[in-house]
Amino acid sequence: MIGTAVNQREQRVDWAVVIGLVGLMALGAVFIASASLAKESANRIAWYRLEHVKQLIWYALGIAMAVAAWLTDYRRLARWSLVIYWFSIVLLVAVLLVGTSHGWGARRWIDFGPFQFQPSEFAKLAFLIMMANYLSRPETELQKPGVFAAAMGMTLLPFVLIIKEPDLGSALVLLPTGIAMMFAAGVPTRFLLRLAGGAGLVIAMILVDVFFAPPQWRIPLESYQRKRLMVYFGVNSVPKTASAEERQRVLKEFRDAAHSVQQALISVGSGGMIGKGWRKGTQNALGYLPRAVAHNDFIFSVIAEESGFVGSVTVITLYSLVLFSGLRIAGQARDRLGRLLAVGVVSLLFCHVGINIGMNIRLTPVTGIPLPLLSYGGTSVLCTLIAIGLLQSVFRHRRA
Amino acid sequence: MLIIDQLRRGDKRLRAVAAAISLWLFVLVVGLWYIQVVSADKYRASLVNQTFRNVRIPANRGLILDRNGLSIADNKPSYNLELYLEELRPLFDAEFTRARAGRPMSRAERDDLRWQVRYSVVSNTVHRLGEFLQEPLVIPEQDFRRHYNQWPYRPITISENLSPDKVARFLEGSPNLPGIDLEIRSLRYYPLGLVAAHVVGYLTRDDLARDDDEGGFSYSLPTYKGAVGIEHACDAALRGSAGMKSIVVNSLCYRESETVWTRARPGQNVVLTLDLPLQKAAYDALNSVAHQVRGAVVVLDAYTGDVLTLVSNPSYDPNEFTGRIPEERWQAMSDPKLRPMFNRATQGAYPPGSTFKIVTALACLESGVLNDSTLTNAIYNPGHYQLGRRRIKDLAPAGYYDFKRGFKRSSNFYFIHYGLMAGRDRILSLGRRFHLGQRIGLPTRQESPGSFPTPEEVKWLWNDGNTANLCIGQEITVTPLQMALLTAAVANGGRVMYPRLISRIEPAEPGMEEGNAADFQPRVRSFLNIPEQHLALIREVMIADTEEPEGTAYLAFHEADRVTPRLKGFRVGGKTGTAQIKEGNRVVDHITWFVSFGPGDSPRYVVVVMVESGASGGLTCAPVACKIYQAIQKRLVPVSQPAPALAQSE
Repeated sequence: MIGTAVNQREQRVDWAVVIGLVGLMALGAVFIASASLAKESANRIAWYRLEHVKQLIWYALGIAMAVAAWLTDYRRLARWSLVIYWFSIVLLVAVLLVGTSHGWGARRWIDFGPFQFQPSEFAKLAFLIMMANYLSRPETELQKPGVFAAAMGMTLLPFVLIIKEPDLGSALVLLPTGIAMMFAAGVPTRFLLRLAGGAGLVIAMILVDVFFAPPQWRIPLESYQRKRLMVYFGVNSVPKTASAEERQRVLKEFRDAAHSVQQALISVGSGGMIGKGWRKGTQNALGYLPRAVAHNDFIFSVIAEESGFVGSVTVITLYSLVLFSGLRIAGQARDRLGRLLAVGVVSLLFCHVGINIGMNIRLTPVTGIPLPLLSYGGTSVLCTLIAIGLLQSVFRHRRA
Repeated sequence: MLIIDQLRRGDKRLRAVAAAISLWLFVLVVGLWYIQVVSADKYRASLVNQTFRNVRIPANRGLILDRNGLSIADNKPSYNLELYLEELRPLFDAEFTRARAGRPMSRAERDDLRWQVRYSVVSNTVHRLGEFLQEPLVIPEQDFRRHYNQWPYRPITISENLSPDKVARFLEGSPNLPGIDLEIRSLRYYPLGLVAAHVVGYLTRDDLARDDDEGGFSYSLPTYKGAVGIEHACDAALRGSAGMKSIVVNSLCYRESETVWTRARPGQNVVLTLDLPLQKAAYDALNSVAHQVRGAVVVLDAYTGDVLTLVSNPSYDPNEFTGRIPEERWQAMSDPKLRPMFNRATQGAYPPGSTFKIVTALACLESGVLNDSTLTNAIYNPGHYQLGRRRIKDLAPAGYYDFKRGFKRSSNFYFIHYGLMAGRDRILSLGRRFHLGQRIGLPTRQESPGSFPTPEEVKWLWNDGNTANLCIGQEITVTPLQMALLTAAVANGGRVMYPRLISRIEPAEPGMEEGNAADFQPRVRSFLNIPEQHLALIREVMIADTEEPEGTAYLAFHEADRVTPRLKGFRVGGKTGTAQIKEGNRVVDHITWFVSFGPGDSPRYVVVVMVESGASGGLTCAPVACKIYQAIQKRLVPVSQPAPALAQSE
């Protein structure tokens, strides 16, 4: 397939993106090693079972798959979009039936013995390809409300299934990604404004429902998720009729839920300008930052504590490099499909980065969204790298 | 930027997406700047706050020594067994996993199981330790829970004050028990126990102790503070300065590591003017009167005001206060009649009885109603004094009395007769010159001023009846220490001294040049301005009281043959007193006194003995004083020779 390249002398890889990725992966391995230090030094484990080693293995796998995606013509892939999409839907249904919960209550993983697979991550990718393919039809067709409705349906189906798991964060990521893609595709702004308004309304209703509705009317969120939202919005719904004891209990739960956010803030804040140095962070070592999340959802706190503002800005700069290069690739794409694919990848990445870093500094509510490439977790790494591979494929097949 | 330039060529909608992304990334950078740079100090402070626990390390308490360097309050090592919870953590976890056995559990059940497991691990460890030491040890679940909730980073004390054989058993056997360690602490020890209890006072547990400048300790190792007595008065010097260490704790509040920031500096030693052998002799002498006799003895150096002996009886054992005091001991110590905690020598105010006739006599001499002609002029005593319709009995037999006979027979008639002539105001103002009714300003929290009014206070209240009572030492109250200072002033030629109890405060080790080591010089409180021949006359008749067969203290100072003096070559001047305690018109009790000085020609020592419910001053108290003089004579106490220069205060 290399032989079919459009122009042998043309650049085939966007190196800015590669530099960004390599930087992020290096940081990821280094700080996962730091974040899991306390946990791992306590009980002796073989080197190949150390988390940062496992992460490196995932990186290698991911890079291989990214190279495969890069070598694949995205247009050929898009022909399979319907299959990929429905396959992901089947997986999402399957996870609801046979998924495992990791003791968290939410069924998010399908157990494959040696490793576990998180269908919601894959679904994001499938959704992206499906939407890009669907929206790549001529711009005039997009004016029809029917097309718009179909696009909405494509978004809502995985959205609802993922929310059922429940994984509010992953589900909510689909909405802005879908909207961004529709926007980039040229769907009339009036539709999008309505959609945005509608989405806002839905979110508001969900929140109202979560906080104030009587228990039997509520969306079946796990109690911890409800608490996280309550912490973010500063709502603590103690029933007026509650006894003093009951009130105490609810307030204590509220404080416990606020604990990890508070500890993340202390980690980030105490890092100061240049941080405390690699493996010198105390928040994680002493367990204030909950060990279960320090190496994945809250990896940014570890980085920020140990490398300070300088490190945080480096991370954001590396992401910016990838994101803006991605948008440039979208601008250079040879067709609407490539352009939408690139916009989709960029939006998806951006949603993760924006929400995850935001929740480390209390700008966004705590939802279990990983920080792409930095957080520990195989499926997330694979999907991110595959998405980047698609982006490179779009670049490789850009217009002359 | 290259990337942005190329984007500019792209269409509008792509640029809008780029703008949205830039905006949010910018918000994130600003947010991070605010948190990591602007408010970094705030977050660092909360990190320190949750990660460090500051612990106060109390210093070794300084010693309390007598004038000869003998120790009155000492420290001895106490061995405690401590259990460090963080070392049991792996056991907690392992046991929890085993007990749970993979069963699904709700959060509440898990918490509950964790508590059970923790307690069972701890109580098993403690039990095995107990078996090893061959001593049943238990830790109540309640105590463990409280400790775990409050201070999980702090070791639990399992056994305090281990006996030496247990310590040896532990050290030699070193049982293979996790988390158990032997700690040495210093514990206050009073070798004399009851003998000097009231002077030294005692300590109470003070777990909230903190130094003024460094607050904010998470907890303090067991600390004691002086409650009363010298332990209280010199608490600051004795205590030294506490050290500080901080413990790094993890999110579960277990201890991770420890750093000692400042070492504790031991407290200074306090040297008292007390003479321990004499104190013991006085204690024994007083206790020879009766079992649990209620009384007090004060021995002063008449020239310096040095307190050589201060005994109050019944006494308590200050060692008991460093541990837990059993209920029945508390009951005994707060017995309303015996009142062992009460320092009768300085806190007890009693009517001085006939011993006050010293003041009455001096007032009469000063006023001139007793002068060269009247002193030798014998007047007839009918055996009572008739004041209006009231008849005041006189224990001295009827007959003719001159001053000397009146004094040594302690005739009420004689002193009321002349006292009324001298007048109420003159006696009262002379009493005030002896500082009766005034506080001395003892730092020991054990002081009563007594009750002795100024002439103005009783101008409209006291009639001749009251004055007659005053002449023979009723209506007013004084403490034994005040009586001793009064006697000292008579003995030393008219200087009313401050009592000196603390001789100096010195560093714990001679090499240590630090702190406010201080010498306390004798201080004169005031001068009586009484002609020396008046005082000499009083001393002469006081000596007559013990040396002439008619004297009330003659029997006490002579052997059973009523001829041989008990003290060889040591003359003593004294005055007995037996005051009545009345309820209404009924006499319910007697306070018996003997105030004295010796040696007769150049008085140096003052001995005051007071016994509640005694028979009489001559029968009860004078023999005690005699024994004390014997002890003084035997010891020939090397009291500051030559007498240090006197520093006058005020």
